[in-house]
Amino acid sequence: MDRGTLAFVLGLGIVLAVAGAGGAHADETCMSPYMPKITGQEDYVYVWTLGIEGVGDGSDKLVTIGANPANAATYGKVVSAVSVGGRHEAHHAGFSDDRRHLWAGGLDDSLIWVFDLAADPAHPKVVRTIDGFVKESGGVVGPHTYFALPGRMLITGLSNEQDKGGKTAVVEYNNDGKFVQTVWLPKDAEYGYDARVQPRLNRMLTSSFTGWNNYMRDLGDLMGDAEAMKHFGNTVVVWDFHARKPIQTLAVPGAPLEIRWALQPRHNYAFTSSALIAKIWLVEQKEDGTFAATAVADVGEPKQQPLLPVDISLSADDRYLFLDTFMDGSCRVYDVADPHHPKLLVTQKIGAQVNMVSETWDGKRVYFTSSLLAHWDKKGKDGEQFLKAYGWDGKRLTPLFSVDFLQEKLGRPHIMHFGQERFYKNQIYAAAPGPLARAERER
Amino acid sequence: MAVAIVAAVSGHGSVAGAHDAIDARPRAVDPSEAAYTYGVGAFRPEYTPPAPGTYALPPIATISDHPLLDDKGTPTRLFDVVGGRIAVIAFVYTTCTEAAGCPVSFAVLHGLDRALAADRALARRVRLITISFDPERDTPARMASTRQLHRPRSDWRFVTTRDETALAPLLADFDQPVAKLRYTDGTWTGLFRHVLKVFLVDREHRVRNVYSTGFLNPALVLNDAKTVLLAAGE
Repeated sequence: MDRGTLAFVLGLGIVLAVAGAGGAHADETCMSPYMPKITGQEDYVYVWTLGIEGVGDGSDKLVTIGANPANAATYGKVVSAVSVGGRHEAHHAGFSDDRRHLWAGGLDDSLIWVFDLAADPAHPKVVRTIDGFVKESGGVVGPHTYFALPGRMLITGLSNEQDKGGKTAVVEYNNDGKFVQTVWLPKDAEYGYDARVQPRLNRMLTSSFTGWNNYMRDLGDLMGDAEAMKHFGNTVVVWDFHARKPIQTLAVPGAPLEIRWALQPRHNYAFTSSALIAKIWLVEQKEDGTFAATAVADVGEPKQQPLLPVDISLSADDRYLFLDTFMDGSCRVYDVADPHHPKLLVTQKIGAQVNMVSETWDGKRVYFTSSLLAHWDKKGKDGEQFLKAYGWDGKRLTPLFSVDFLQEKLGRPHIMHFGQERFYKNQIYAAAPGPLARAERER
Repeated sequence: MAVAIVAAVSGHGSVAGAHDAIDARPRAVDPSEAAYTYGVGAFRPEYTPPAPGTYALPPIATISDHPLLDDKGTPTRLFDVVGGRIAVIAFVYTTCTEAAGCPVSFAVLHGLDRALAADRALARRVRLITISFDPERDTPARMASTRQLHRPRSDWRFVTTRDETALAPLLADFDQPVAKLRYTDGTWTGLFRHVLKVFLVDREHRVRNVYSTGFLNPALVLNDAKTVLLAAGE
């Protein structure tokens, strides 16, 4: 490295640090910004799936679905399924900081499995089981969000061992599966659900759902119990992330669920949706550095309620917000270029029920799964269980393929994450040289 | 996309290894392919880090001692290089062209070096260490020349390892995976896939924080080092 190169290197680092890379360097739209992203065509969709008694082996499993149309043999088909044995209320999962491992948990008994994806991305394998989460964390129950930090995994809880209510904490493990610390949510906002960090601002937002007593209960039964319905979260907490200290509690009534930070530079805001009162909320940093939560849109008409908004996905350019409503099995796509005034563009029926939505980084494909929770899913003919892939062109969702998880004897599909052969094989592809490369070759 | 272009034309890495001979001038890399490979973002910090001692940094992991080579080629060990201080340890390869990777690491440690130089009391307690994970090309002489270019004003050490056999357990211990990035025909591009990580290690060899691009803010690292010292009663 000569002095000129050194100057370039240092300058480059400084320029990047000052300029901020924004969307071009953020992660796939809803995952940790700390890990490598897959911006092109995904080869696989990993689906963390709840077992159903009498369906296949009845166990929770990680299902790998082929998603690359260039591979006709696997496109839209089940490539592999790895059972973990038993039903644990499989729910969410998240990649480690280097994307080599996928952590996936059960909300019922708080078991966590770590799958190795790097060795064979078509056939994940369980390499570690964490069975001491409740004890090690000091009584946290229901590991929910898995958010990669450098060298660590941040895990939000939903409940606690003492009363199985909504009081809970944020827990950290290192990448070897060893417990690091537990930070309980503040007394004025004890409930937890999602956690997302905006490193540029050193701010973490946590949302709030409900405890084990409610999420493990039949939905119809629960909604008829006025006392139980009081035990849902009504807050979003703003944290000094580095210090792991709550600094502000925002009133966001109606169980705010998924949090999606905007990805573009100077977009100092996030969206969430409240499940029980069907609103889109904008959580925005004000000029004084504090945050405010504002309801910016009603989801559906009053006569349509309850719609139960569930998962949301924000496009990489912060333009489109995809929002699933469980009860009518629909996805609503909003233009959120003006985050204060979302405009409903499309309402697309996906199925009898729909829960999770995952958009690819390039914004061209959107995946949906059907299951919310084992005891909350619809029953009978409306109890469809599927993964459906759609194309998105900015105006309409066009069906690409569908996998029937009951016909395939798999179970209730929940969260989805993307995998790619080239990424795990450490391959990169040569291309026609550009002008600089040509000049170098000719020199 | 500048990353890919720089990679294509840099021509670094002309030292061929026994198993992975690479062209002196690697073929062009499709920028769209590089996008996912080098996907971790850089973030401009828009915050003031919390004050030292106002927060906790619980131990994340404990590291072991490992053999190294200093920039004169003399065998040494990690704990000897650390020298009983708090250490800021960065893993790099000097031919890295990933804009959000090793160049950022060098730039941040360069800044930390200047900050430590301005605080002699702190400089006596904190040591910067850059370790190469490319022993094939990053020879002791290469590390010495890199050190010379940075002209450290604090006791910033530049070390490498004898070979990949010595390197592997060190990387595993720090949970710093790296992989040679190859073309589809199997030849090495001269690049590594790696997630930028810098480690703050206390005197008991416990990792107290891990920084990647989103966290690698020099002011934050300094405050963390002071926080660890304060927690130890110093």
